[in-house]
Amino acid sequence: MILLSYATAIIIFCIGLYTIMVRRNLFKTVLGLALMESAVLLIIVSSGYIPGGVPPIAPFSGQAVNPLPHAFTLTAIVIGASDIALALAFIVKLHRHYRTVDLDRIRGLRG
Amino acid sequence: MTLVLAIMLPLLSAFLIPFFHLARKTLSAGLISIMGLASISAALAAAYTGWYSPAVSLMGGWAPDIGIALVGDRLSSAFLLLTSIGSGAALACALEKFGGGPWRFYALFFLLLGSMNGILLTGDLFNLFVFYEIFSVAAYLLVAFSMSWQALEAGLKYLVLGTIGALFILLGTAFTFMATGVLNMALLAEALASIPRETLTAISACLVLGLTIKTGAFPVHFWLPDAHSSAQTAVSALLSGVLIKVSIYALMRVCYIFFLGTNGTVFLAITVTGSLSVLGGHLMALRQDDIKRLLAYSTVAQIGYILIGIGCASAAGAAAAVFHTFNHMLMKMGLFITAGNLSEEKGTREICGLTGLWKSHPVWVAVFAVLSAAIVGIPPLNGFMSKWFIILSSAGAGTVIPALVIAAGTVISAAYYLRILSAFISPGEGSSSGLPPSVPRKPRRRSISFAIVGSFALLCLVLGVMAFSPFFRECFSSIGQTAVDVEAYVGLVTGR
Repeated sequence: MILLSYATAIIIFCIGLYTIMVRRNLFKTVLGLALMESAVLLIIVSSGYIPGGVPPIAPFSGQAVNPLPHAFTLTAIVIGASDIALALAFIVKLHRHYRTVDLDRIRGLRG
Repeated sequence: MTLVLAIMLPLLSAFLIPFFHLARKTLSAGLISIMGLASISAALAAAYTGWYSPAVSLMGGWAPDIGIALVGDRLSSAFLLLTSIGSGAALACALEKFGGGPWRFYALFFLLLGSMNGILLTGDLFNLFVFYEIFSVAAYLLVAFSMSWQALEAGLKYLVLGTIGALFILLGTAFTFMATGVLNMALLAEALASIPRETLTAISACLVLGLTIKTGAFPVHFWLPDAHSSAQTAVSALLSGVLIKVSIYALMRVCYIFFLGTNGTVFLAITVTGSLSVLGGHLMALRQDDIKRLLAYSTVAQIGYILIGIGCASAAGAAAAVFHTFNHMLMKMGLFITAGNLSEEKGTREICGLTGLWKSHPVWVAVFAVLSAAIVGIPPLNGFMSKWFIILSSAGAGTVIPALVIAAGTVISAAYYLRILSAFISPGEGSSSGLPPSVPRKPRRRSISFAIVGSFALLCLVLGVMAFSPFFRECFSSIGQTAVDVEAYVGLVTGR
């Protein structure tokens, strides 16, 4: 079960990286970034899981899952959201100038 | 306590600047300089504490395995001193050029300053990632600050590559946490010794790849020339002089603490990357016509020298790398400020257009000549000394190839810096054809910039001579010792 989640995360990470490297549309680049980020977050969340654990909300009885990764995930979500918002803002500005989001037609972004 | 202040004061200034703007509508340059002085003196105080009595500050009083620890030792202190000098100089240049006008610029600047001090002082791997992202977001915005299309493109390119690097660092952090259950770097140094070989390989691959993208070494350097050449002069100087050095610190800290005793292949990879950067950066710089792009590619090559020093995995190599880091900060900031001012005077950044400057701005050209002699590595200057130490330590580490690469790179860099200088000194078409110059602008006074650039050039000379004094060598070798002495670091943090 957890192994499946790890495998999914790594596959999503690779899909994201592939999208960034291959696609020539700036919006798809941003989608790739978002995919990579979600994959890493999926790994972190899964790593806190303990079989048979209960939610770590006091008061609880028995073995709780590790709450630390959830705190990391929240922090990382905020960071990822600001990165992606900034990227979209840059793209909107560039679109106003070039009237396109195609990488090949924007001068400085080739290669 | 001083360690916390070094992070808190700049962040507080960044937070207060928008409020001052809202209340007063104008922001005086005096206020910004007071905030800058306070932040920089807090950083220097932290550096002083860390140098004479290595300190640990536990946030909220939690033990290092649960909470976040701030650690100031000699390596951190050296880099704190470097960022204080560099960002102080950049702030002074920006104040001279813009005055107190663009409040957004100064808010971002202080955010950058606070997060840089955070990276240099933190002893927690996840906290390092968080500060790294604050730092990166502020840097993307500063690159794009002028809002010209070039700057926006450079900012976006930097953002995409920087975020990929950050996600690799986060992935490495996640793997580390899964394998060991702790994130404190000192505890990790002990825990990583006993985990399976394959896991360690995955962790080191992710962390080193992410940090290499952030440093802008050769195979993944695409963002660097655009970002460093499109920004305004003060920002270019800050990016090339200081920001890259913070990434170098993170790479050095993480690699030495985690992989020195466990995975020697990491250092071979760093040496190879460094050698490629030296050759690639110099060859690309040779082909540039734009003076700021040329300087940016030269930065790629100089990072290669530093990486070769780190890749030696010895105290001598680390000391040489830190020495070259200092020298490169002085030389490249000076060169960027000089080139920026001269190209603004001429209204062009093409090297072939920057002619006749020897007649109109002789002092600036003289300073540029001294700084480029230092960066090429003419013997009495500091660039020669640090390259020499790097060559010695890399030869001591067993391979002679990096040393040969450095020697070849020096010849190439001499070629392109001489090309710039010959353009500066040549008389130029305007005066020889007898026509009046097309733009009879009054040369603007840039006395503060000139004082900074002049003192940097002087420091290049002084550091080159100082490298012979035993006291100075003692200082740098103790930085190198601190960098590779993992046991002392672990003992400092855990209190054992």
